[in-house]
Amino acid sequence: MTVHPLATALASLGIEARVDARDALAVITLPNGEAAAPFRDASVRRTVIALAEAHGFKTVALELGNAADDRAPLSGH
Amino acid sequence: MQPVLTEAARADVATATPPSPESHRLSHATREKEQRLVAWLAARHSVILGFSGGVDSAYLATVASDTLGRSRFLAVIGRSPSYPDAQWDAARTLAAQFDIPVLEVNTHEMLDPNYVANPSNRCYFCKTELWSVLRTVARERGLETIIDGTNADDLGDWRPGLQAAREHDVASPLADLGFTKDDIRALSRERGLSTWSQPSSPCLSSRLPYGSAVTIERLQQIERAEAALRSLGVEGDLRVRHHGDLARVEISAGHLDTWLAPRNFRALTDAVRTAGFARASLDLRGFRSGSLTVLGAAAGA
Repeated sequence: MTVHPLATALASLGIEARVDARDALAVITLPNGEAAAPFRDASVRRTVIALAEAHGFKTVALELGNAADDRAPLSGH
Repeated sequence: MQPVLTEAARADVATATPPSPESHRLSHATREKEQRLVAWLAARHSVILGFSGGVDSAYLATVASDTLGRSRFLAVIGRSPSYPDAQWDAARTLAAQFDIPVLEVNTHEMLDPNYVANPSNRCYFCKTELWSVLRTVARERGLETIIDGTNADDLGDWRPGLQAAREHDVASPLADLGFTKDDIRALSRERGLSTWSQPSSPCLSSRLPYGSAVTIERLQQIERAEAALRSLGVEGDLRVRHHGDLARVEISAGHLDTWLAPRNFRALTDAVRTAGFARASLDLRGFRSGSLTVLGAAAGA
């Protein structure tokens, strides 16, 4: 599976996630709920939004993987 | 569904929820606007209002009802699949509380292929249907002037529905007399209207990207998801944007830290999935009016 360059950039920040693009929307899929905790910090959100914009996106949304995904490491990041 | 927020988290949300009472203190200029509105209404033979139960039309309905009485005023609720049941309930409750004369009619914009295709001027076709129905009611009941709740702030927005209002000779006294949204909230608060702090509430079709067909199934998905999130405890601005199998939830930016807490985020996700979306996501910027316009047309159509 192709790794989106934004996923690689997020990994450099310590955020392990899958990224898929829907036109100008970046969907960041996290492996579990605990992985959402850092995003409570507004500065983290701003950094991620800026990173997404640098990759050509206009909006960023955060998603939890399916329950089945919670039990297995994410692929494609 | 039981609200998921802890007491502490709920306090966080309440703290972050605008608008504050202080920001809506009445000024002399605002009071004068209401006096001019009363005079404007009193000068009409009779008035019929398109009444959604939102902030603007709720305020206008109470002033018109007080000024004109039941014999010269009628508020009309237009029901359709794009009008949420929760708002319908709120409109009826408010009308009963303030003794506002109300008529409910069905509108049929879903039968118009121009509307269903969801072009960027979709609101024009919806409002054309609404004002056509109200024109018929006005003629049958001998009511002379049709009005809406458009305010002065609305005039700077992209609102193709205003063209339909002009074509049907609908007056907008709040806009014409210079009422801003803040004026209306402040005056509503003084009148004891629960709508004074209510978020803006455009129709459910506004959650679909332009070019993505408006269907009853999609509107019901959106309505179920937003109702479920309200039940969880989401307050303030809320939109569930429809991107096909993916829902993108927008909430007030000040509430994001609360809803990104792992337990809350999981509950939010589950609620949206249960409402019929395969995937649920939370927008990291929070609520923005017109965010679908920024994204462009038909994502996930």
